[in-house]
Amino acid sequence: MADPKDVDGGTKSDENTKPTLEAVAEAMKGCVDCLHEKLEGSGADLVYFPTLVDLNNLQRDLIRPLSQASSEALNTLLSGAPFRAATDLKSCIKSIMDGAAAVFAGQKVYLFDAPKSTGRQVEQSETETVITGPHDGFVESLEENLGVIRKRLRSPKLKTVALEVGEIAKTRVILMYVEGIANEEFVTLLTGRIRDIEIDGVSDSNMLVQLIDENPNSLFPQYLTTERPDAVVSKLLGGRLAVILDGSPGVFSAPTAFLEFFSSPDDYYQRWPIGTGLRILRLIGFLITICFTAFYVSVTTFHYEMIPHTMLLNLAESRSRVPFPPLIEALLMETTIELLREAGARLPTKIGQTIGIVGGIVIGQAAVQAGFTSNILIIAVAISAIASFVIPSYIMSASLRLIRFGLIILAGILGNLGLIFGIGFIVVHMAGVTNLGTSYLTPIAPAKFMDILDTLVRGPFWALRERPTLSRTKNKVRTKVKR
Amino acid sequence: MKEKLNSFHVALLIYMIELDVTVLMLPRMVAVQIGTNGWLGFLGLSLIAAFNIWLYKLVYSAGQGRSVFEISEAVLPKFVLYPVYAVLSLLWLGIGAFAGKSFVLVFQTLSFQTSSPMLIFAVYCLLVYVLLCKDLYSIVKASTVFFLLSIWMLLLAPNFFKDWSFHRFTSFLFQGTTNGHSLNGMLDVYSVFIGYELCVFLFPFSDAKTKLFKGVFAGHAIITSTHLFTILISFGFFSFEEVKILQFPVIHTLEYIEMPFINRVENLVFPFFLFSNLVTTVMFAFAARSALRRMLPHIEDKRLALPLAAAIFALGFLPTVFREAADWIRLTYFTETGVAFALPLLLLLLVKLGGKRTKEVS
Repeated sequence: MADPKDVDGGTKSDENTKPTLEAVAEAMKGCVDCLHEKLEGSGADLVYFPTLVDLNNLQRDLIRPLSQASSEALNTLLSGAPFRAATDLKSCIKSIMDGAAAVFAGQKVYLFDAPKSTGRQVEQSETETVITGPHDGFVESLEENLGVIRKRLRSPKLKTVALEVGEIAKTRVILMYVEGIANEEFVTLLTGRIRDIEIDGVSDSNMLVQLIDENPNSLFPQYLTTERPDAVVSKLLGGRLAVILDGSPGVFSAPTAFLEFFSSPDDYYQRWPIGTGLRILRLIGFLITICFTAFYVSVTTFHYEMIPHTMLLNLAESRSRVPFPPLIEALLMETTIELLREAGARLPTKIGQTIGIVGGIVIGQAAVQAGFTSNILIIAVAISAIASFVIPSYIMSASLRLIRFGLIILAGILGNLGLIFGIGFIVVHMAGVTNLGTSYLTPIAPAKFMDILDTLVRGPFWALRERPTLSRTKNKVRTKVKR
Repeated sequence: MKEKLNSFHVALLIYMIELDVTVLMLPRMVAVQIGTNGWLGFLGLSLIAAFNIWLYKLVYSAGQGRSVFEISEAVLPKFVLYPVYAVLSLLWLGIGAFAGKSFVLVFQTLSFQTSSPMLIFAVYCLLVYVLLCKDLYSIVKASTVFFLLSIWMLLLAPNFFKDWSFHRFTSFLFQGTTNGHSLNGMLDVYSVFIGYELCVFLFPFSDAKTKLFKGVFAGHAIITSTHLFTILISFGFFSFEEVKILQFPVIHTLEYIEMPFINRVENLVFPFFLFSNLVTTVMFAFAARSALRRMLPHIEDKRLALPLAAAIFALGFLPTVFREAADWIRLTYFTETGVAFALPLLLLLLVKLGGKRTKEVS
């Protein structure tokens, strides 16, 4: 593979090279969408990408005044705002790529920033919907995303660190933290990790987090990615760091623990007993989604004696026409569900509805009537699938789906003991996972009783007095609400 | 930003180490060896174990938190210590292996009569290996979660209230033992406490702030309460003579529970004992690893995990049926009880000798 630094048009030697029209033209050679114009009147040369700049702005503030100016007045015009002088070739090319137009007047080069705002405007997140609370979600523009956070957190204490990833793509990254609340060691650690990434380009924040996590082979996501600004603001106020990647609607926060993936901003907008109930419901959903089908396989393969007599008759009758052992039967049905889910996710919405109807037939009564599966397994598989949808994080939900298959196989081999072995493996694995050096199992291990009030349950606001210990903040108190 | 091993986690760790396959037989052992109202005698044995822990506390204070190896090596030459380390490592690996194999054999008897126990034990050893690859902090984190996955079993107790009777506790004290009272019999019961002595390997992971022994005593108190609870349930649920003949009274009590959607819950509940057995095996293997690392300092912990797990698996071949496993457990646990008492006394002596030497040098 070629060294990315050789192909990105900005080698180290360019840092000291004077920007000239020839040098820029050479760098842009082969880019048919790069426009080179000679302005009438002033005779200045203009280089820009029409696809990257706002043409209205360019026409109004640059082309028209410069076309009308004489060559003598040109330099006077260019030395004021909004023009800035380019000092070296590398920064000149970078600015053009960022949406600036370069004006070559004599020996000097000036840049005019007129980036076009592309992509969608702030709108509701499709993957993380809430019933109550703010409905705006992040979009693909870094500025928009930063803007919605700044609007909510109107304090100069919200510090931002500008970073860049991708040797070729040069994608902009902003790391945010609240000074005085966030742990500076984490800021240094995360900044260093992002700077150390050497890759051609990063397309999404979910890809970026995989490049900086401590356990790249883990099944579990280690950074919480969200499309909701209110969630990010809450994380920042809790002493965590947040990172925005240009071009990605997902903003991730760190450090993160496993149980955080089961909380939703909705929990805070409901009364606390309701919020607590919802969290517990999600944790029950977590248990069901990973264990329920496996438990069915275990019981029907090895532990028939566990089924009460009345249920046993129904189950035996239903199972009697199925030619496969429970393990194969369950794997077939789970795979069918996954096929349906994947097809539904990839197809356009209008055709996606067809999948729902076809799926309803496949995993419905027809499969039972054909003797393909037992109806109790259909209930188990369907409940497991529904339970996986209550987990707010799609990435976590996907991880748990894969774990489910592992547990089904273990349960099919060793029954309940296999299931427990599987849970043991998961716990042991999670015990070794860390995020920015903090335990993934916080607040269970290490046990932090006050944090449990804001993870396993959603305590009343008067009880949530301290920021999460996971953030290792020095400024612990966050609420002083009197009862 | 290194994590601390605080007293809460130490308590849970000690609880999990002490809780192993022996608890399944505990009510029977108490009935056979101590007799009627044996729970009182059991409390006395727990106090002896607490005294033993206090001896370790003395070692910790006298040695100013130095590890057991540092204390020993300051006085005794390596050629004396290394064979001791090797023998102790083998003993600890044996305890881990036999506790694990016994658990597997019990489960095999319950649910997998036709399966090879060594196949199940291989999966067990794989789990031991995975956990042993990690550092102590991760092992403690896992054992904290395992504790939560085990302690819920106590919530099943209300199921026995209906048929539990206080009348089954006679007014006679320590009567009706099978072979009278003997040291051997007491050691049999005492073996359920084995595991607390591993606190000696936690010295390097604690300091004055972490209050190590507060955790060790608390862990021992929790396990004593749990065991006592188990004994009281069995003694009040079955008749005294029945407890004496039941091989695993704890499993038999679980068999009694029936729920609307589930019967024979012991099939579901019993596998959860895996976690406490696993922590027992892993922590004894950790002790062996610590000793071996002293002899082979250039080998990383991770590299020792596989040979240690393989050794546990190999030792698992020794017992083939539960009766044999119980014999091995008796042998190794009795030896370990001796080690548990001899070790702090020896260490105190070494600290004293080491201290004198240091003074002479200065």
